[in-house]
Amino acid sequence: MTSIAATGLNVATPRAFVRPVVTSLSAPVRLNYPWKFSSTKRMVMSVKATSEGEIISDKVEKSIQEAKETCADDPVSGECVAAWDEVEELSAAASHARDKKKAGGSDPLEEYCSDNPETDECRTYDN
Amino acid sequence: MAVSTIYSTRALNSTHFLTSSPSSSTSKQVFFYRRHQSQTNRRFNTIITCAAQQTVVIGLAADSGCGKSTFMRRLTSVFGGAAEPPKGGNPDSNTLISDMTTVICLDDYHSLDRTGRKEKGVTALDPRANDFDLMYEQVKALKSSIAVEKPIYNHVTGLLDAPELIQPPKILVIEGLHPMFDERVRELLDFSIYLDISNEVKFAWKIQRDMAERGHSLESIKASIEARKPDFDAFIDPQKQYADAVIEVLPTQLIPDDNEGKVLRVRLIMKEGVKYFSPVYLFDEGSTISWIPCGRKLTCSYPGIKLNYEPDTYFDHEVSVLEMDGQFDRLDELIYVESHLSNLSSKFYGEVTQQMLKHADFPGSNNGTGLFQTIVGLKIRDLYEQLIANKATAPAEIAKA
Repeated sequence: MTSIAATGLNVATPRAFVRPVVTSLSAPVRLNYPWKFSSTKRMVMSVKATSEGEIISDKVEKSIQEAKETCADDPVSGECVAAWDEVEELSAAASHARDKKKAGGSDPLEEYCSDNPETDECRTYDN
Repeated sequence: MAVSTIYSTRALNSTHFLTSSPSSSTSKQVFFYRRHQSQTNRRFNTIITCAAQQTVVIGLAADSGCGKSTFMRRLTSVFGGAAEPPKGGNPDSNTLISDMTTVICLDDYHSLDRTGRKEKGVTALDPRANDFDLMYEQVKALKSSIAVEKPIYNHVTGLLDAPELIQPPKILVIEGLHPMFDERVRELLDFSIYLDISNEVKFAWKIQRDMAERGHSLESIKASIEARKPDFDAFIDPQKQYADAVIEVLPTQLIPDDNEGKVLRVRLIMKEGVKYFSPVYLFDEGSTISWIPCGRKLTCSYPGIKLNYEPDTYFDHEVSVLEMDGQFDRLDELIYVESHLSNLSSKFYGEVTQQMLKHADFPGSNNGTGLFQTIVGLKIRDLYEQLIANKATAPAEIAKA
């Protein structure tokens, strides 16, 4: 699992917010060993996911501004084209980040189990 | 893993000597010579070939935002298993690894990072921003079952990160903007696919993708597409003439003046004469047929489904074109269409439908894009199995002098 440090997340930014992930665990999940759950882990993962999306969204917005400025000077230059290409690249990255968040971040138990399938909470018995 | 048979000279009664030929990197050959003549006065040369694990290389080309990731997920699902980024490595890695396949994103071979490109005023589409020599060397190495340290291009920061180790897989897929641009890389590909999205559809898809983003407006999306178009037409588009299969996505013809772009007309253009690849056909190979399955046996909702099959020429090649216009609304429409297509390379009746249902949440699962991507996935599996079967029957040829 990646820690906060590894993602290069700037914790100083006030925009990162932590969703109360722990409460959602109580619903349909039956746990035999509830003390084994380390809820802090999930908080870390949710912070990472939202903030990565925030970072990229900021970048997209900034790059669009820059592209508009560069192209106002000279709409046919290489710089203008490169600026819009950067907008495209960042938009693609933003959409991938959104998809990843949608696919992975919805269920904290699923996330935990995909990394640790051998733990007691995550065992499935298919016979 | 190398598979080879070893024969000891002592086991055979005559004097033999072994020489290993100066062989190609993919196979090693051992020649047996019998020195003394037998009664028949003929020399028998036995060639035993050791085949190293064969890596099949597939190339997929498309502009960004055009469905490459969806195609990759469908393709890896045909082979079984889910493709995931390498565990424990760089979290921003673009590589996907599953049991049988490894997908490499060609953006990793950018020679200029984002700041570099901005300074020089070149887009990522420009060949000057890509290191084709490194791409060729590494794809050649992976094809010869040698692991490589591949650079990582981080899409979030726009920088080139430290390289990651890639083990040679059974099936290597290289996807990106330029898989078929460089001639040497083109020679290494066993099969190549080009996703050709028409301008109207591309605009509609990009709007869908980007309107949720803060900062984007209709004008900025349009400006972005227009600015990239010259480079795209000059460098990316010409690759479609080299592709073995082209999936062309156009606006529908079933709804007059449609500008929503929800219903699509998709054409699967398959090159004839490609080794191990036999095109899918409808009713009769090489004939022209237009088919509307909706009628008495099958009731479809508006606008329905229309299929078309015909032989054609595409950039001076003979091709077969299978076309589907419209949408699937129900399961039985899909299975009905599948049961009338031939040469699908499916292993059991309804396999295409099953694969489409498995990924019903993917975009394009209700129209020709999902259908043809799934069919191409089955064709690639068939190609892989044929290639492996060919190399595995160790050609112990007995050449009579």
